[in-house]
Amino acid sequence: MDQLDKLKKEWQNREQELPKLSYNSIYNMLLKKSSSIVKWIFIISIIELLFWIGLNFVIPEDNLKLINEMGIGDIMRYSNIVHFIIFSVFIFLFYKNYQSIQVTDTTKMLMQNILKTRKTVRYFVYYNIGMLASGLIITDIYFYSRSQKLYEIMDFASKGVPEKGFATTFIISQIIVGILVVGLLIVFYWLIYGILLKKLNKNYKELKKIDD
Amino acid sequence: MNKELEHSFVKQLEENQNIVHKICRLYTNDQDSHNDLFQEITIQLWRAFPKFRGDSKFSTWMYRVALNTAITLYRKSKRKINTQDFESISFKIKTEDYDDIIEQQLKLMYSAIKKLNDIDKALVFLYLEDKSYREISETLGITEVNARVKMNRAKEKLRKILNP
Repeated sequence: MDQLDKLKKEWQNREQELPKLSYNSIYNMLLKKSSSIVKWIFIISIIELLFWIGLNFVIPEDNLKLINEMGIGDIMRYSNIVHFIIFSVFIFLFYKNYQSIQVTDTTKMLMQNILKTRKTVRYFVYYNIGMLASGLIITDIYFYSRSQKLYEIMDFASKGVPEKGFATTFIISQIIVGILVVGLLIVFYWLIYGILLKKLNKNYKELKKIDD
Repeated sequence: MNKELEHSFVKQLEENQNIVHKICRLYTNDQDSHNDLFQEITIQLWRAFPKFRGDSKFSTWMYRVALNTAITLYRKSKRKINTQDFESISFKIKTEDYDDIIEQQLKLMYSAIKKLNDIDKALVFLYLEDKSYREISETLGITEVNARVKMNRAKEKLRKILNP
């Protein structure tokens, strides 16, 4: 293709037209922060951890009372501890991935390493959605089976809620809220990680095609 | 931080900054994005610099880190536009002589290259930089034979963009 060969010659002749940065402006760039995809995955996971921990502190008193009186206070506390331990393991894995990514690798290897990070992200997302959904389902079943007690603790009688049909109304509203919350979480993950990894996936597929 | 290491790095990058500018021009469409990418590449180069052993030339090592950053790590900002107009092409190649046919052809070719996907762009870029197929394959992590095949396909794509 002679047009490309012509451009090749011109390309090399045109170096003088390129911008010239001074020693100092390059030096100042060393002090700036990176905005690479991998770094963002790491930062978002930490923000998320803090968010979930923070949420524990803003649970209304009434809810805590209800949880304790229904007799699941201890279970909730223990499962929370296990949850945060698993969460920390994920953060550690994200950090390890972040550290192991080397820009000096070949493009293909670099992408493979980033995709390993993606796998960790995917497991992290599955874990969170799974935990939330199963937590909600188990609590609902438990509350449903003890709806009489729940009715008494919540003092629905004084609020004029009829006892008949209460259990069914309760479980249906719980299911709707549960689906909404899990749905929101899925949209959140899809938006954040989907956007971050979109370009990488596209380029990786392109590069893989070459060797297939 | 080791001042000597910093000095040696900045000095070498200053001398070889053309490589980074050329990559930024191919992978971005405006001055702000160009600067953003330049900065990100500088940060990634600096981060990898302690591991640079000097068994290859600084510039060879730079090609790999800079291209990897542009293709893999860099998140394009919203300012990025995919379509090319003549204004932005003339931003890329400054020229006073618009009547020159070769000049016009070159400009079209340049805008065609910018329409390629990131990987093809890298291949064409390394070709324009007069890199051997061995170097191209070592940078991207594909076999030499596949680099040749892919290069021919990229040229074919360019031809199609230029002669639709």
